[in-house]
Amino acid sequence: MSATTVHSSTTTPAMDKAERARIDESTRVPVLLFFGSAVFWLLAGSLFALLASFKLNAPHLLDQWGWLTFGRVRPAHLNAVAYGWASSAGIGVALWLMARLCRSPLRHSKLLICAAIFWNIGVLVGIGGILSGDSRSIEWLEFPNYASLMLFVAFGLIAVWAVIMFRFRQPGHVYVSQWYLLAAFLWFPWLYSTANILLNFEPIQGGAQGAVNWWYGHNALGLWFTPIGLAAAYYFIPKVLGRPIHSYYLSILGFWSLALFYSWNGMHHLIGGPFPAWMISASVVASMMMFIPVITTAINHHMTVRGNFGALKWSPTLRFIVFGAMCYTLASLQGILMAIPSLNKITHFTHYTVGHAHLGLYAFFTMIMFGSMYYITPRVVGWEWPSARLIRWHFWLVAIGIGVMVVALTLGGLLQGIALLDPGITFMATLDYTKPWLLLRSGSGILLTVGHIIFAISFTLLLLKVGKRRAGPTLFGTDEVRQPESIIP
Amino acid sequence: MNAIVYIILAAGLIFFSGSTLAAFYWAAKTGQFRNLEDGSQSIFDHDEPVGTATDAFADKTADRPLRRGATALKS
Repeated sequence: MSATTVHSSTTTPAMDKAERARIDESTRVPVLLFFGSAVFWLLAGSLFALLASFKLNAPHLLDQWGWLTFGRVRPAHLNAVAYGWASSAGIGVALWLMARLCRSPLRHSKLLICAAIFWNIGVLVGIGGILSGDSRSIEWLEFPNYASLMLFVAFGLIAVWAVIMFRFRQPGHVYVSQWYLLAAFLWFPWLYSTANILLNFEPIQGGAQGAVNWWYGHNALGLWFTPIGLAAAYYFIPKVLGRPIHSYYLSILGFWSLALFYSWNGMHHLIGGPFPAWMISASVVASMMMFIPVITTAINHHMTVRGNFGALKWSPTLRFIVFGAMCYTLASLQGILMAIPSLNKITHFTHYTVGHAHLGLYAFFTMIMFGSMYYITPRVVGWEWPSARLIRWHFWLVAIGIGVMVVALTLGGLLQGIALLDPGITFMATLDYTKPWLLLRSGSGILLTVGHIIFAISFTLLLLKVGKRRAGPTLFGTDEVRQPESIIP
Repeated sequence: MNAIVYIILAAGLIFFSGSTLAAFYWAAKTGQFRNLEDGSQSIFDHDEPVGTATDAFADKTADRPLRRGATALKS
């Protein structure tokens, strides 16, 4: 089979357009189910986040209720945004991208609807379990076993679906985004099941639990969220600009080097811990090797947009995605530096790490998901976004919000880390240093939450098809898209 | 009990590492690493060819030309 392009010269623009519209339409129900639940969990996760952050400013806030104590609200936040928001949005984007890139209408949507239902019940039950005191107290895997089983079933269904879709794709080149998506769909069920078996169902002993915990925790970011985020960036940046990726060779190199190096990275969370030195050293070296995929991706995205940064003014999708892609570079380089033991000594166990986590999962991944949803939703629903002003407000609120949060936590975390290393400063005094930065964090959290509420309003209005019908530039005339369906039998 | 768990885990490890290697072999064999620059064109079609921007705010006609490599969408 040859892997050259693509759309045969026998098709006409109208046929291509009709094919695209048909594929987009076929994804409607599962994609909207995942997007809708993602928006719901984004709001729920934001509330938990605000509450947890306020508790750091006023520790006695609402502490008369056990289920609202920090130790439960904080993991509820993490799991609501990681599994409720980020994973659901990521799955929705991935389903749509898979259908488009396989150039095949979405098959077996019932499988995906089942998966969406299992997924949401799993997250709901899991968060209920955490709030009621059933948390497993293992970071990223706090869900009690009865919830994680449901998530695993949902994941299994989606992975099977992805393989079937890939099997029935149109012949031709496998675009780099598809590699990332297939990898994410296959890697994650394996990571999730292995970690859950070794930690929750048939727990291994002692320190080895820490190793499994961070093998999973770090790979969930790097082999689940990162591939989906990069798949979206590699599709939408060239697609929105109408300009092929700068160097396709580099994009493929980036994918395979990520596949090779990333899974070794997790042990850098355990620097200084009771683990064999070779384990930590191997992980630090692999972390340094991440320079290769990160730099190739950064060069590629930058060179593709270069000269057209003005496009960020008129494209909502590109605005979010380029912001996210830049933050991918920043978050990754920061992560690599944090794996250097001498720097890790300062940043470990401080708010710096929390800032890094938000730079990665919010400024990179979430922003790319917002951008992708701005592109996908109108094409799937067949309706334009109700208001450009709402989109701009959303962008500026969350962009400023996450900027303030990351800067505050980074600076506050550094001061905290330096103070913690100074034997002349008492532990209570080191906490005092963090107070003003934690106030800033709560302030930025309010900005983010308002942005999310605006996004949710925008999304709901679009689903309800409120307002005048507009064949705006985003949709390129839905009326025309419907018309040529008669060409296709 | 433990033995079964470890067999499942080992099988998973072999299967998933193996599938990554198999995917790499398959990609090399079917020419996915050849004609790379053609590959980058595969997301465009006759209706949305290279040079057509495909997204803009609803209130913008976005008729300003791109400075490099592509032309803007016509409203």
